[in-house]
Amino acid sequence: MTTEYAIETSGLEKVYRSRFRGREIRAVSNLTLRVPVGVKFGLLGPNGAGKTTFVKMLLSAVNPTTGRAVLFGKDARDPEARRPVGYLPENHRFPTYLTGSGMLDFYAALSGMQPSARKKRIPELLDLVGLSTWGDVRLKKYSKGMLQRLGLAQALIHSPRLLVLDEPTDGVDPVGRREIRDILNGLTGTGVTVFINSHLLSEVEAFCEYVAILRKGELALEGKVSSLIAGRGFRVCASGVPEEALAEIKVLGAAVLPAPDGVEIQAVTREQANLAIDRIRAAGGMIDSVAASSSSLEDVFIRTLQTGKAA
Amino acid sequence: MKKTSALRALISDTFQEARARWLFWGLFALSSLLIAIFLFVLKIDLVQGAVTFMGIQSTSRPVGDIERFVNSSYSWVSIVLYIWGTFLAVFASAGLIPSVLEAGRISLLLSKPLTRTRLLMGRYLGNIAVVSLNHIYLICSVWIIIGIKTHIWEPRFLLAIPISIFIFAVLLCVVVLIGVISESAALSVMVAVALMLVSTILAQRQIVVKLLSSQWSRDLWMAFYWIIPKVFDLGSAMKQLILFDRQVDWITPIWTSALFGMVVLWTAVYAFQKRDF
Repeated sequence: MTTEYAIETSGLEKVYRSRFRGREIRAVSNLTLRVPVGVKFGLLGPNGAGKTTFVKMLLSAVNPTTGRAVLFGKDARDPEARRPVGYLPENHRFPTYLTGSGMLDFYAALSGMQPSARKKRIPELLDLVGLSTWGDVRLKKYSKGMLQRLGLAQALIHSPRLLVLDEPTDGVDPVGRREIRDILNGLTGTGVTVFINSHLLSEVEAFCEYVAILRKGELALEGKVSSLIAGRGFRVCASGVPEEALAEIKVLGAAVLPAPDGVEIQAVTREQANLAIDRIRAAGGMIDSVAASSSSLEDVFIRTLQTGKAA
Repeated sequence: MKKTSALRALISDTFQEARARWLFWGLFALSSLLIAIFLFVLKIDLVQGAVTFMGIQSTSRPVGDIERFVNSSYSWVSIVLYIWGTFLAVFASAGLIPSVLEAGRISLLLSKPLTRTRLLMGRYLGNIAVVSLNHIYLICSVWIIIGIKTHIWEPRFLLAIPISIFIFAVLLCVVVLIGVISESAALSVMVAVALMLVSTILAQRQIVVKLLSSQWSRDLWMAFYWIIPKVFDLGSAMKQLILFDRQVDWITPIWTSALFGMVVLWTAVYAFQKRDF
């Protein structure tokens, strides 16, 4: 079955209830997100925004309260949906009694790889992550950076179509970070979808094509990185714009950010800005201001979070 | 094929963890200690005297008497091994369930194309495999020692292997359930050992029921007796089977304990499926 999206969620929600007091914590709220096949997608958000809960719902480690997650057209709760997925969790705890090769062999077997394929693939992966001489060493002797690289090898061993990485460079020194980035850059053009959950904005900006920002469990912003950080783009502030018109503007490739008095539209080109203005006016919305803009992903991130606070 | 490969990997991983945590070697060492004690006991004068008195190493006494004596010894030894083996197995296996539920480990396992049931069953079967190896080693070694010493090889003594493994498998269901709910190895051991002790007390039903004054308390006692796995009754049945007592009811403790185990294991699987990690 071919599908346009590697990840699709609709109305995904997770509410944790404390056992005795009955207090509710809404970790993720009504999250609808689509990640096209073959793109590099970054999920951003401050600590506690619900990023890890969202990733765990995709992989069925957390059961959603409501809503649905779909991977390559299959319900994420179906184990078969996870077969084309490689995952590197945050704060992973690989069994330290295993050797590097043994660990890769174990997780490859769980992914359904046959012994002959595993035997061939393990040395390739160890070589790819620069650990070819460490295959017979137990994991308790590995440094944090080495474990992270081995974790990446584990996620890649069964040639996944979707790679989900939760804080992949967390605790890794700059050299190790560069190595991980190089490995991930090597996946460009292979059709593998990379979904990165990170709080390192510069890395996401350098690597990802699309980003989404979570704020208090809600999707605060979603769009193409190039649109959001457009060096010579245009910022259109408008109010009273219906949701349908905003959806059409997103399709044009412009990013739509919430603003205190309405919305802020980040358009990359003059044509895009004009088309967006046309849509807003046709839908009965009011243009408040139009200005040339330039920003980094960090600016966009901070502004998005501040808008939330102001609201 | 893929599913078998994953299950085999989970069982093998449990073995490797048991080895790395010294549980496997600890079980092996303690079983070896018991075997060494048997060797020593069979060498001391008292036992040597009994063996000589019964004429096992001569032909002066009727063969029937000698066999009865040896079978009786076999049956008592089997009880010792049953209790020793089950206690050790419960202690050794308790940590192997919570360890797999550690954050950062379980989320990766759950991301694999496996059902949660298969994941838990892989761990459960791995535990049973580790303990089975130890039981086979312990009971076969003692059987060989007694056989060499007495020249009487009683194959029914080997029934202690499947019966000990069976009762461990039932108690492991409890360990798994408590492990899944609480992630506490200590609590798992406490509950499993408590069940063993409670089973022994409840099994004295014929005496206790006469002493209880009210009907409801008698009914309550009997209800608990039927619900709780019959560790004591199964040990007694095993002893009688080794003594070649054809009247012994070994089916009832088996099926009631198996039913208890299945219900508890099903509950553990259900709780595991509902949990967020």
